[in-house]
Order: sequence, then C-alpha cells, then structure tokens
Amino acid sequence: MRASRLFILRFCVLLLVTVPVVQAAGDRVEPVEIKDPQFGEALFHFYQEDYVPAIVRLLVAKEQNQLSDHAEEADLLLGGMYLSYGHHLEAAEIFEDLLASNVAPDIRDRTWFFLAKIWYQRGYLDKARGALANIAGALPEHLENEAAMLGAQIQIDAGNFDQAIAGLSNWKGQTEWARYAKFNTGVALVRSGRIEEARVLLDELGSMAPYNDETNALRDKANVALGYALLQDGQPQAAKIPLQRVRLEGPFSNKALLGVGWADAEMSSYRRALVPWMELRGRDLLDSAVQESLLAIPFAMAKLDAISQAADHYLNAIEAFNEESNRLDETIGFIESGDFFNQFIANDPLNSSGWYWNLQTLPEGLESRYLFHLLATHQFQEGLKNYRDLHYLNRNIEDWLRNVDVFENMLETRKEAYAQRLPLVEAALERADLDRMVESKLSFDSTLDSIESSHDWLSLAKKSEFDMWDEVTGLERGRAVRADLPEAAEVRDKVDLLKGVLQWNLERDFKERLGLVRRDLYLSGEALVETQRSRRQIDEVMRTEPLRFEALSDRVYGLAPRLESTRLQIADAIIRQRDFLQEIAVGELQAQKDRLGVYSVQARFALAAIYDISSSSEEVSE
Amino acid sequence: MTKIFITLVTTTLLAFSLAAVAQDADPARAGTTAEKAAAAGAGEARSREDFRAIDQEVQTLKKEVLDLNRDLFLLEEELLFPANSQVAFFVSLDVGEYFNLDSVNIKIDGKEVANYLYTAREADALMRGGVHRVHMANLKTGEHELVAVFVGKGPNVRDYRRGATMTFDKGIGAKYVELEITDSVKKQQPEFAIKEWE
Repeated sequence: MRASRLFILRFCVLLLVTVPVVQAAGDRVEPVEIKDPQFGEALFHFYQEDYVPAIVRLLVAKEQNQLSDHAEEADLLLGGMYLSYGHHLEAAEIFEDLLASNVAPDIRDRTWFFLAKIWYQRGYLDKARGALANIAGALPEHLENEAAMLGAQIQIDAGNFDQAIAGLSNWKGQTEWARYAKFNTGVALVRSGRIEEARVLLDELGSMAPYNDETNALRDKANVALGYALLQDGQPQAAKIPLQRVRLEGPFSNKALLGVGWADAEMSSYRRALVPWMELRGRDLLDSAVQESLLAIPFAMAKLDAISQAADHYLNAIEAFNEESNRLDETIGFIESGDFFNQFIANDPLNSSGWYWNLQTLPEGLESRYLFHLLATHQFQEGLKNYRDLHYLNRNIEDWLRNVDVFENMLETRKEAYAQRLPLVEAALERADLDRMVESKLSFDSTLDSIESSHDWLSLAKKSEFDMWDEVTGLERGRAVRADLPEAAEVRDKVDLLKGVLQWNLERDFKERLGLVRRDLYLSGEALVETQRSRRQIDEVMRTEPLRFEALSDRVYGLAPRLESTRLQIADAIIRQRDFLQEIAVGELQAQKDRLGVYSVQARFALAAIYDISSSSEEVSE
Repeated sequence: MTKIFITLVTTTLLAFSLAAVAQDADPARAGTTAEKAAAAGAGEARSREDFRAIDQEVQTLKKEVLDLNRDLFLLEEELLFPANSQVAFFVSLDVGEYFNLDSVNIKIDGKEVANYLYTAREADALMRGGVHRVHMANLKTGEHELVAVFVGKGPNVRDYRRGATMTFDKGIGAKYVELEITDSVKKQQPEFAIKEWE
C-alpha cells in the first residue's frame, strides 16, 4: 500500500519559486504525488524558506537512498535551494548535470539565466557570459529583457562596447526596458568615443515626459551623462541644455548644478556660473559636487576680480575641507577597528543565509553616509552577504560543538546498555541447546516414519488408551484368565473383545493421528528454523555490535576535531572577508580624503596666488 | 601667473567633476583619460579576482558545513533511533479547505508521546505539500496501537477535534506511519486517516 497523497507542487518552476521576482511568471501547475516521505519532509522546510534544514534533509535522504521515486525532482530542488543558500558553484554543478539530461527546455533556460545573474553579481563575468550563451530558447518576456540587458552590461564591463551596442540596438518601442537599453547604448557609445551618436539617444531620453519616479530618475541620469560628455568634448554651450533639464531636487541635481556652472565658466560667463554654484554651497558637504563648488565659487570670484571675497571663500573652503577630512579620518579609524562590521552582524538576526538576502537598512552612523554609494555596489553587497553567511556558518558549527558531549553520552549509554544485557543474553543462549532440539526433532521424524511404515497403531494411542491396553493385556497374561475353566474362557472372550474394540478404534484413528503428529512435528521444525535464524541474527549482532560501536566511536569522537577545524577555517575566512570589505571601504574613504586633500592644496595654492597678487599690487601702488 | 593657476584649477576640477559623476552615470567614465580608465580597469579586475578567491573559499566552506550537518544528522538518528526499532510518524495535509490544523496529539500503546502545536508558517507549508515528521520512536517488534487526535478549525471556522486509531505491526527495519488529513468534497468535511507508508 502506498500511503501518500496528491498535492499541488509548482514543480516545473520549483527552483524559481525561490526567486520572488519571477513568482508571477505564469507558473505551470502540475500535481505531483509524494511517494517518499523524506522528500515531503524536505519540502516542509523548503516552503518555510528554511533552506539549510531542507538541504540537509535532502542530503540525508539521498545518502540513505530514500528518494528512489523523486530522484530528479530532488536534484532540481536541491539545485534551487543551493542557489537560495548562496552556494552557486555547487548549484551550477547540479544544473550542469541535470540540464544535460532531459530537463524541460524552459526550465533549463531560466536556470541558465539565474546562474548568469548570480555570477555577474559575484564578478564571475566569464561564467555569466557562458551561462547566457547556453540559453537556447525564448525566455518569458520580462526575463528575456533582463537577460539581454545583463548580456550588454557584461560586454560593457569587459570593455566590448561595440558588442554591447549591437546587442542593445534591437530594442524598439517606448517600454521601460527599451529606455534602459537606450541609456546603456548611450553609455557604451560614450565610452567608445562616439559622442555624437550617443548624443541622439541620450538627448531623446533626456527630453522624454516622465510619468513616475523611475522615469524621472532615468531622465535626469541621461541628462547628466550627456551634459558631462559634451563638457568633456569641449561643447559647453550644448552641455548646458541637458544639464538644465535635470530636476533641482533629486539624486543628480548637485552634479547638474555643478556642471551648469562649469559650462558657463568654460564660456567665461563667471557671473552666471556663480548662480548654480552658490546654490550648491548650502547643500550637504558629503557630496563631492558640493565640495567642488566651494573651490569653484572663489575661482569664479577671482575671475570677476572680487579678490577679497575670493580669499574669504578659499579660507572657508580650506576649513570645511579640513573638518571633513578629520571626520573621514575618524570613520576610517572606526572601520579599521572592525567595529563597523561587528555592529553590522550584531544587529542582524542571522536567521537565514544566501543570495536573496539584502541589506534592508543601513547601519546607523556617519560611516554609512560616506559609504552610501559603496554599499549599493554588487561587489560590496555580495561581500557583505558572504560575510554574513560566514557568521551564519560559524553559529551553526558552534551550536553543534556545544552538542558534541550529547553525542558522546548517547554512544556511551548505548554501549553500557549493551554491556549490561550481553551476559543475560549469553546465559539464555547457553540454556537453549538448539543442536539437541534439532536432534530430537530428527529422531521424532525417524520414529514417526517407522511407526507409519510398520503401521504401529498402538504407538499413537493416547495415554488412557494405552493404560487400558496395558490393563487388558495384563489380564490376558493373568493365571486365572489362562485357567482351563469355563468362567476363564468367558473372561478370555471378553478380553479378546475388549482388545479387538480397542485395536479397531486405534487402527481407525491411526491415519488421522499420524497426520496430527506429523503436522505438530512440521510446526516444531519451522519454529526450530525460525529460532535458528534468530540465533544467527543474535550471533551476528554480537559479532558486529562491537565493530559498530567502534565505527560509531570513530565518528562521534572524530566530530569535535572536525568541527573545530571547520570553525577555524570559517574564522579565518571571516577575517579575510572582513579585511576585503574593509579595504574597499577604507579605499573609498581614502579616495574621498585624497580628493579633499587635492582641493585643499588647490585652495591654498589659489589663496597664496591671491596674496601674491595683492602684495604685488600694494607694492606697485606704493 | 594668475591665468596659469586658473587654467590649472579649471582642468583639475573638471577632471574631478567627471570622475565624481562616474559613480552615478556610467557615460562619465568616458571623461577619464585612457590611462586612468586602464588603471581603473586593472584595479577593478584585481578586486574582482580577490573577491572571487574569497568567494570560492566561502563556497568550499558552505559545502563542508552542509556535509557536516548531514553527517551529524545521520549520526544523531543512528544513535537515537537505530533502524531496527525506528518508527517515524508523519503528518500530511491534502488541500485543507475544510480544516485548519492547530495541533496533533499522538498516543502509542496508551502513552502520550507527542503533542505538537503548529505555527501558521508550518501549517501553510503543510498545505503547500510539505510533510512534517512529527515524532520518532523506538518500538519493539510486534503489534502497537496508535491514537492520533487532530485539533483545529473545521468548516465554518468551528472548533474541530477528531481522532483516528490504528493498530500496526512493527517488524524488523524502519517503519513510516502517515497521519493524513484530506478533504471530503462529498461530505464537505475533513477526513482523518492513519496509514502505513511503504
């Protein structure tokens, strides 16, 4: 009997169920029967998004060959969960094996797409490119667009701008994807030096009528990009047009204001340039555009011969840069102490691991503001995921390490119980002489055969019948009965009659009794065979149990060193991962500090030049 | 002199402006010089390589931790529930329109061995097709009586409490028993059954 039931498992998109972004993607629903409870058990954890317990259950079931009815589904599920667990290389191995076999093409293509996406985010550009190339058919529309965009981004990152442009040029229409494709094409064109071609695309994007936050942001981004590209190309007048299209409040407004100022300055309209730069001065000094405006303002003032005001502004700028530089030093110190990442982990519940985790809120503190851009990059995000995952692994191992004693106790208790029971079992076995029982049984068989062949009906008489027979034959042998007397003859007749009746009855029942005895003997034989089998099992257990205990001891007592070694490796990896993140973060802050340093030097140099001019003028007037 | 200084400042500032905007708008990368772009590219590639090296180490450790967890799970099961005496009890739910499971109570041979209260998340996982291993036991070979009581909300959100009984034979080797809740569309009621999973 099979005791399972039907349930609706979105199996065809099983691994994709773990990817929230595609849950709405027209999943095909197929009823699947759970035939192995262990598979259903893994699903129980999977549906609760407890991926590690679910993976462990599946690995255990596979090890114990308990997934005979769900082998392929289990592998696909395992691959999907490995992705969720952030174990992408292992997932890829499974998929590569599975995808070579008879997996449905749509699953295969979707899987390659998600592998490409993960690998791109983790910086495995070669693998990402290979995975995209493996997509043979058409993906669902939203994935198709994302895949094409991903392919272009990989080409841009690798410096293959022409391939990226070719890949993106097929996009038509006014969809959001088409707009992003245009922007990316513009990026690729600018980076390959084809400014005029880029200008057409970016200008079109920069002039579009936005209808939501996303299109507003894309419009501003395109305008800033185009403005700076034209500025760099020596076209300040043309650069002003897109830069002035950028909203006054938004993530790109500071860059745009700065750029508009520089466009005017390039055209020697210093008075005009001061307008956007003065607006910038009052904004957040963390922004590099604002920092730069502090230098640009006195530069323009000097150009307008407002030397005294320019000197004041340079002095203010030097002070502001110093203060900012000191704050950066403090932040660098804080990050280098490791406290930043310790706080990050301390505030995280670590209740899951893997690729789908995202930093939801920035840690509080000044450093987060400085690292805002960095925190949004793939490399830093993926590094943070690894750092977090390593802490998750560390906690898992530490939990097990605390339980090693329990395993040892369990084993010792079992050994003790066995040692206590063994003498009792041995004594019982000693009492039960099976060989003698077998001999007796064989002897009975032989006796019964002899009774049957000799038709020895008396041998099968019951005790009462036998006693009666004895009594009758005893009478027969008695002297009185044998006497030559009429009364004796009469008694002899009666005895003969009795003997005859008795014999007749015994002979009548002989076959039936023989059958019953044979059946009993047969059952005894079966019981003996079963007892012998049990005995062999007991003997086998007595032989193997010490060996099993030995093997279990090796495993149990080998646990602590194995766990400890893994814990050390994890601790080592945590340090390396943290150092890597710290290096990036400190590098970012150091770059900001260096920029402030250069600004500061420029300001001092300009100030010295102003003082030099002033003193020269005074000398001339004197 | 002033003119030279101003030109220098302009050039430097413009370069910085373009470099700074590169964080937000990729085209601005075109503004860096070829040398800067090459240096930045080399730096990025090196950083990517460093990241990959650590990432591969993390991947290896993830595999090692999973293998350890698998081995520990197997060991725990082997020590606590040897295959010869092992009996596992599973709860499954088919459809679940007429019954929202709150808890399951299990008695074996008259002795209460498990009383499991389901969270909303667990009940949802059951409804979606998961199978919950609610109890593991070591039982001697021979006949045993199992009584399972299911508590929850039945049709019309009314409190619902139903039992199911079964006698099963434990032989040599592990045994799996399924406590199954199904919907009877005909009766518009939930049905409860205990089956041996073979």
